[in-house]
Amino acid sequence: MLDLLEVFERADTGPLMKDMDYYMKRLVPKLQEVISRRQVKWDRSTIVNTDDDLIDRVFDASVDLIAEAGAYCPDTNRVMEFSRDEVLRAVEQAPKTACFGEGREAKTMAGRKLDDVDNVPWVHVGGGIYTTDEKIYLEIVEGLASIDIVDSVSVPSLLHLRGKDARVRSPQELLAAIKTVILAREAIRRSGRAGLPIINGISAASNSVSMIAAAAPQFGLRPSDGFLIDFLAEMIVNYEALQKAAYFNSISANVGSTSTPLFGGYGGGAEGNAVLATCYIIMGCLIYRGNYHYNAPLHQNLRMSSTKPLLWAIGMSNQVNAKFMQRPMVNLPYLGGGAGTSMFHHEMAAYMLSVVPAGGQIFSGHPAKAVDPDSLLPADHRFHAEMGLAAAQLTRSQAEPLAQAFFSEYEDSIKDPTPGYHYSQVYDLNTKKIINEEYLKTQDQVRENIIKAGFEVKVS
Amino acid sequence: MNNKNILNALSQALVDLNQDAVLKQVQEGLEAGMKPLELIEEGLLPGMNTVGDEFEQDIKFLPEMMSAAMIFQEAMAILQPKILEAGGKSRNLGTVVLGTVKGDMHSIGKDIVKILLETAGFTVHDLGIDVNTFSFIEKAEEVSADIIAMSALLTTTLVNQRDLIEALEGQGTRDQFKIMVGGGAVTQAWSDEIKADAYTDTAFSAAKAAQKLVA
Repeated sequence: MLDLLEVFERADTGPLMKDMDYYMKRLVPKLQEVISRRQVKWDRSTIVNTDDDLIDRVFDASVDLIAEAGAYCPDTNRVMEFSRDEVLRAVEQAPKTACFGEGREAKTMAGRKLDDVDNVPWVHVGGGIYTTDEKIYLEIVEGLASIDIVDSVSVPSLLHLRGKDARVRSPQELLAAIKTVILAREAIRRSGRAGLPIINGISAASNSVSMIAAAAPQFGLRPSDGFLIDFLAEMIVNYEALQKAAYFNSISANVGSTSTPLFGGYGGGAEGNAVLATCYIIMGCLIYRGNYHYNAPLHQNLRMSSTKPLLWAIGMSNQVNAKFMQRPMVNLPYLGGGAGTSMFHHEMAAYMLSVVPAGGQIFSGHPAKAVDPDSLLPADHRFHAEMGLAAAQLTRSQAEPLAQAFFSEYEDSIKDPTPGYHYSQVYDLNTKKIINEEYLKTQDQVRENIIKAGFEVKVS
Repeated sequence: MNNKNILNALSQALVDLNQDAVLKQVQEGLEAGMKPLELIEEGLLPGMNTVGDEFEQDIKFLPEMMSAAMIFQEAMAILQPKILEAGGKSRNLGTVVLGTVKGDMHSIGKDIVKILLETAGFTVHDLGIDVNTFSFIEKAEEVSADIIAMSALLTTTLVNQRDLIEALEGQGTRDQFKIMVGGGAVTQAWSDEIKADAYTDTAFSAAKAAQKLVA
């Protein structure tokens, strides 16, 4: 594997190019070329791929793309180039495990294989959605950490500091990031699982200074938590990201590479997004030395990841990872339906069926396109984790008809998703009990329906 | 080929992203005595509208949209001078200064808005990403812009949209410009709160809203 200094050097010495030239003269034509060369084609009727030869072709196309297009560093206006051998070496040497957590909660996330019905996946819940109020923040995180089947959590961000907006790159943002960490750790401690890892460090920090500051051990995060370093769409690696890679690798922390390829953007449609998502899994290892990956493809107009072509593309990238790398990887779903709605639950069911039998781990998702504050409801996340565990019992062939059935339940609502609940509409803020009967009824009905359809989601 | 056939072929060539065919049909139309405006409004624009519809339906994607816009601009480079030669006015609905606000590195949504504004007939000055509040204003003053359009994807960067409006109010020039806001973090409620002139949740509605603002 290339050492980090050599990687950083590539950002300073690669060919000079304007960003738009990189997109339009290099990345886009190369992507189209490798898709055609390797005959990557989505069968539009499919959600869960069962063609193993296609997995090989997506892998080859992804290796080709990294080797032929490289990544772009906007801070230097240079293309970071990597040889095919360097790319393949990163694939070969990609870590297959990542150890998270402390004490009783310490556990290893191991990469999974295709149709891996014998191994229980890692169970991760939560999300980085904004929360408006400290009390609700504590309750949500405590509620998530209290889900006994959970191995790690993503924690939300605080929207305000002393009632005021925390502006990007401001000292207030840095303080908000620190406060988020302190509150999250406290909430997890209150759940009785103090060692439980937070693996979306640090959601409230938009820049490297805030992130590194809030990661100081005095505030409660540890190297055994997980720290995210993102690729910008598409194939963009900026200095901020490289600074984070430099720091978090230096303290030997868990590094999660993360990417949000945009469906409809420079990557085009299903095929382009399957290839790009796979590229990011490889590049996360090659460029950031990530030992786990957050895969989060998203539709750039609809701002959700549960459309049919995206479910296929996301599942496809998991299948390539499972076959060639087994990098520990979670997939972050952005769903259209609001928290607690039937649409949200069906989207999650289809999503779990597309990624878990494909070799992915379990991750509950963001309702309401991740823009509705206070919408992380712990009971949703337990239900969705249970769906993931049920999906882990299925092969891809068994998952496909179920994914199709659940997709059809929300297909007509994709352009106009159902709004959902906020935390305080469902939970009593004092007793932490669910007080909304309608909410419970909807969840019970969905569970009953999906079990009737053959998806055995058991109550944990 | 009669005029109708030329217009249909022109439109289809644009949908097919065939630059050579587009320029050939433009040339044939002019040689057949067709008016440049007719070729634009009944040939090129319907083609662009079809490309736009296909983009919304996930049939075409951003690279194809950008290719169509580039071909459109090539055709316009032939037709605009002809309009001026004939004593007509150049097809310019207005001038827009566009960018992603300070602290925000996201560009794709803004790039799409740029294409759609340009093909709708606006002159667009794209300042890129991470744009300083006063850079928007200085450029808008320099080019006598009709509209300042700001994108923000991150919630923590929204305040920069408010700052720009506050800065314009502070220097007494708020009335000189229409302000459009958009991006993943923006909502109608936010737009109302900061008193922007228009908010749209998709790139397509942004182009339509801009046309309304300058009507």
